[in-house]
Parts: sequence; C-alpha cells; structure tokens
Amino acid sequence: MTIERLLEIAVTVNPGFYLIAAAALAAMARGSAARAVVLIGAPLLALGVLLYPPLSGAEVSRSSFLGFELALYRPDSLSLVFGLGFVLAALLCGIYSLHREDRVQDAAGLVLAGAALAAAFVGDLVSLVVFWEIVGLGSALLVFAGRGTAEGRGAGAAGMRYLVMQMVSGLLLMAGVAMYGVHAGTFLLAELGPLREGVLVGVFDIRAPGALAILAGVGIKAAFPLVHNWTTDAYSSASETGSVIVSAYTATLAVYVLARGFAGLEWLIWIGAAMAAFPVFFAVMENDLRKVLAYSSVNQIGFMVCAVGIGTPLALNGAAAHAVAHIVFKGLLFMSMGAVLLRLGTTRATELGGLHRTMPYTTLFCLVGAASISAFPLFAGFASKSMILSATHAGPDLYGVWLVLLFASAGVLEHSGIKIPYFAFFSRDSGKRPAEAPFNMLLAMGLAAALCLAIGLSPGWFYELMPYQDRAREYLALDLFTPAHILQQLQVLLFAVLAFLLLKRFRLHPPPQEGVILDAEWLWRKAAPVVLRRATPAVVVVSRHASEAGARLSARVLGGARQVLAPSGAVSRNFPLAAGAVWTACLLAFVVFVVMFDPL
Amino acid sequence: MNEEADTKPAAGLGEPGEHPLSVLLFSWMRSAHFDRLFLAIVAAACAVAFALEFLTPRQTYSTLESVPGFFAGFGFAAFGLAALSGWPLGRLMRRREDYYEDKKREGGDDD
Repeated sequence: MTIERLLEIAVTVNPGFYLIAAAALAAMARGSAARAVVLIGAPLLALGVLLYPPLSGAEVSRSSFLGFELALYRPDSLSLVFGLGFVLAALLCGIYSLHREDRVQDAAGLVLAGAALAAAFVGDLVSLVVFWEIVGLGSALLVFAGRGTAEGRGAGAAGMRYLVMQMVSGLLLMAGVAMYGVHAGTFLLAELGPLREGVLVGVFDIRAPGALAILAGVGIKAAFPLVHNWTTDAYSSASETGSVIVSAYTATLAVYVLARGFAGLEWLIWIGAAMAAFPVFFAVMENDLRKVLAYSSVNQIGFMVCAVGIGTPLALNGAAAHAVAHIVFKGLLFMSMGAVLLRLGTTRATELGGLHRTMPYTTLFCLVGAASISAFPLFAGFASKSMILSATHAGPDLYGVWLVLLFASAGVLEHSGIKIPYFAFFSRDSGKRPAEAPFNMLLAMGLAAALCLAIGLSPGWFYELMPYQDRAREYLALDLFTPAHILQQLQVLLFAVLAFLLLKRFRLHPPPQEGVILDAEWLWRKAAPVVLRRATPAVVVVSRHASEAGARLSARVLGGARQVLAPSGAVSRNFPLAAGAVWTACLLAFVVFVVMFDPL
Repeated sequence: MNEEADTKPAAGLGEPGEHPLSVLLFSWMRSAHFDRLFLAIVAAACAVAFALEFLTPRQTYSTLESVPGFFAGFGFAAFGLAALSGWPLGRLMRRREDYYEDKKREGGDDD
C-alpha cells in the first residue's frame, strides 16, 4: 500500500478519533519528550486532517451499528469552524500541560478534546449522543483530577455534582434523540431538515416529540440560567490545566449543537440575553477569580446563544466566530489564572495583587486576553461581538435584546477586562513575589495572545472560515471598520474605564471580599438536603405502612397460590384429556396472537 | 529561574528581585501621581472620543442611537450600575467561606 493510499484513508477518518486514540498513548507515555510528542503531535495531525480541502461538504464515512445508520464523518462549514476551535484548544492545552506529569489528566484531556471534535463532525444523532456522553465523562475526570492540586480541596464533591449534571444532560439528550429519531424515521442529520442557504442548521422542529428533551439536555451543557452553576463549581475546583481544558470544550460543544439543531428558535434569543446579563452582577461580587471567569464564560456563551436564536447568516457567523475566539481569549485568561494558581496556590482576589513585579509575561498575556474579551478594536472579540450586536438590528422587536447585550458588553469590561488583571497583577501590593510561570505555560499563553492579535488585526483569514463566507466578507468590508462603528465601541469602553477610575478614586468600587456568593446551586446544595432531612421522618412512616401492607398482600397471594398449586390443590386434580387439549390450544392461540401483533 | 542573581535591576529602578521586563513596562505606574495622571489621560481620551462623534458620519439603526453621546453615556452608566450593584447584592448574597461545607465532617475533606 502506497503512502498516498494511506493518506487517502487517513483523511476519511473523523479527526476526533486521532485525539481519542492518542489518549491511549498519553496514558502510557513516560518522560517529557514522549508526552510532548503525543500532546502536541496529535492535535497537529487532527488539524492536518481537518484542513484537508477536498472533503468539506461531503459525507465521507458511513457505517451501520445495531441497525442504526451512522455518519461518522460529515464535515461542513459549521463543523469546520467549531472543529478548528477545538483543535486549537487541544494544541494550546497540550503545550500548557507539559509541566505537569499527570497521565490521567493528559489522557482525559485528549479524550475530552477528541470526543468534542468527533461530535462536531458526526452526521447522525446516535453518534452525537455517544460523543456527548464521552465529553461529559472526560471533563468530569478532569474535575476529579483537581483533588491532587493546591486549591482542589472540594474537587471530589464538585466532580460528583458536575458528573450528575453531565449525566442528566446526557440522559435528556439520549431520550430526546430516541423519540425524535423514531418520530422522524431517521437519525441522520442531513435527512432531518433542509439546508438553510447552503448550510445544515436548525434541523430540529421544536414541536416534534423529543425536541424539548434535546433542548433541555443541550441547555444544561450550555449553562442556561439556573443550571449554570456547574461552570463556577467545576472551573474553580479543577487543576490549573483542567480548568483551561474543560472551559474550552463543554459549553462550546453545546453552542455547536444549538446552532446545528435549533438555529432561529426565538426562545434562545431571550435565554441568551438573560445569560449575557445576569452573570455580570455575580462576577462583580465574586472573590475567586476563576469563578469570575466562569461567570464570564456564561456571559459570553449568552452572546452566542442569543445569536443562534436570531438565526440569520450574520448572527450564525457571529456565533461561530465568537465561539472560536472565546476558546482562545477565555483560554488565555484561564491560563494566566492557572499560572497564578500554580505559583501561589490560590486565585482569590483578596490574597493577590502586585504580581506584575515578578510575572510580567503572564501579566502582559492576561492584558491581551482582557482586551480581547472586552472587544477592544484590533483584538479578537471585536469583530465577532460586533457581528452579534449588528445581528440584533434584524428587526425592531430585537431592540431590547440589543440594549441588554450592550449592557453585557460594558459588564464584561468590569469583570473580565478590569477585575481579573487589576486585582491579580496590579491593585495593592500583596507582598507576594512568585516566580514567573514555567516556559511551556508562557509559550501556550504567548501563542494564544498571538492568535488574539492575529484575529483582531487581520480578521479576513479567520472570517473566510465562517459558515456564510459571503456575508462575513460583506460585513468586514462595509460595517466593521467604519469610523462610526469603531467610535461607538471606543466610547462605550473608554467611558466605562472612566467610570471605574472615578469609582476607585472616590472609593465607591466594591473591594474584593472573602465569602461565597449564593446562586442557583443553593437549591441543591443547601435547600434540597434540608428538605430531604425534614421529610425523612414522614417518608419513614409512609414506607413502613407501605411495607406492612405489601407483606399482608403477599401473604394473601401466597396463601391463595398454595391452595391452588398444592398437591391437594385445584390444579392437581385429574382432568379429562380433551380439557387438556383445549387449554393447550388456548395457550398456543395466545402465543400466536402476541407474536403477530407485537409492535416490535 | 535565578531571579535573585540574574534579574537584579539597577539601583533606583524597580525593587530587588523584580523582573527586568516589569521594571521596563510597569514601574512608571508606581509614581505617586500615577492615579491622577491616568485619570486625566482617560478623561482626555473620552473627551476626544465624544468630540469625534460630531465629526464622523453617523451609523445608527434607532432613534436612541442617534442621541449625541448615547454610547458614551450608556457605557458609563452600565459600568457604574454593574459595579455599584456589588455593594447591596454582596450584603444580601455573600456568606462565609464554609457555608456549603458539611458540619458533620468538621476538619475533613469534603471529597
């Protein structure tokens, strides 16, 4: 077999499978060189397969399993852009993790990355459910792995809570997919709905059986309001590498599935707007800077969910571009906090400050991430967030949504643009003088910062990858870099910075304070156990009565059966042969009836 | 890293043990007048941005956007609202650090 033939076969394999296979190697790799080869080589291989041009738009790999027709590799423009984000995240996370010799985290990270990548490229619902579950398990393993780290004291409990949420999400998705697929008569995405302007998006009909369960399952992973606390719980409990990896994949995959399945669903506009706005208030109060970043993630995912709900080509371009840009700049912010965690064992704002003195590179990279997430012109978040805000001009009924998103943009500057770098690296001098981050961490942060600048300074190459390329080109050429638009954005940001400086000057800006902030998680972490404890005596009484009643009933049934089946019982008497034949015929008739009319 | 030996800055620049890049990039921020100076620079930039609004062609989609200084005022007010909300909300919703920990397992890991 020639090399060309091998390459031909290699590019027909879903790129996520390479990362999953590499996870097995990572679990066995010993020594820095071997780990580097696996953790960096596997994402590069997947990137090569992903960018191999002739395959885009074609269903490459089909197979059958247990009677289900599976499309294991169906690349298109939507999966390509999310896949690119996932591969870049795998590469950056691989480099970032090199200092920590932890084969469990290496393997779990690659499984998570591979499953998310595979899920973005499969063309059927059954495979999607399988990889969705693997993403949940892989990410839970990474949260559990935080137990061995400096601030991972609650990682075990947080991992259990995270696992429960992921399993509930997976079960809802599985149940929904089963109902939906049976009703539609197919599990293949391409057969579920028509292309919309050449792209397979919004394939689910929300009125069909199972669609609501799918939306609920995806909503948990997308951190919809009231089920968003798995982000704050898990991101702040995982290790410095684990939080970077988990933050890159779980919710972003949910955004991909929302775009594929529910683009144009109006509910999502309002859910997304709520997600963008409410975390601003929680992030202001929060002391743990990794939890601040978790709230910031919910806020940014809110922008994407809102755009998916609007569902126009401009909005979907914005959602896809913002998802990838968010992977890079939020990853960069998590990496900078990870470096602080590694060196000091904490990311609590009350214990930090003045770290720029000995961690100047980390400070600089954090500032680039902060400028990108705040959507400063010439940084990564500017174009994608502008696209989403412009998409709300599609109709007068979205005017309120535009105002909410504009508020959320100013809020992002407060918690991620200013609070994170200011309280960690500047502010008061904590007196701590940690060493700069290890070289591999700086390299990963440097690459992420370079990507933020590359996307911001020259967005053309990046927006060529969007699902609706013509609309993206048109927006970049006519709307993005107009003086009026840049000025509007600068006004929002500059005056917000002015507000911060004035509040600081007059001591009106709330200082960081120790403590936990009550949120929706209070319902299951505090209220539910209390309710269960209070309800326990009543439950005990009811179950005792039920058990006594059951015992009485079974005694009666057994007594009756004994009278019938005992040697002197009714069925032991001698029957004529004809009666036996009649009973046998009746039994056979019953069996035939069941077999003939069995719905299966 | 041998910061103590290798990265000791020249006298008067930075602090002992401080990274040279930090001295180069950030030491100017520690001057006594930095806060006022920075506030003045940002205020001047805001004034310029506000003035430029009258010199550039408008790109508006609603009546509210066409109000002069709308984006400037909105940015200022939104940030102020978000930051100031931290006082009452913090008082209402902040609890002690061990609020969620199980008291039956005192001193133990909650894992």
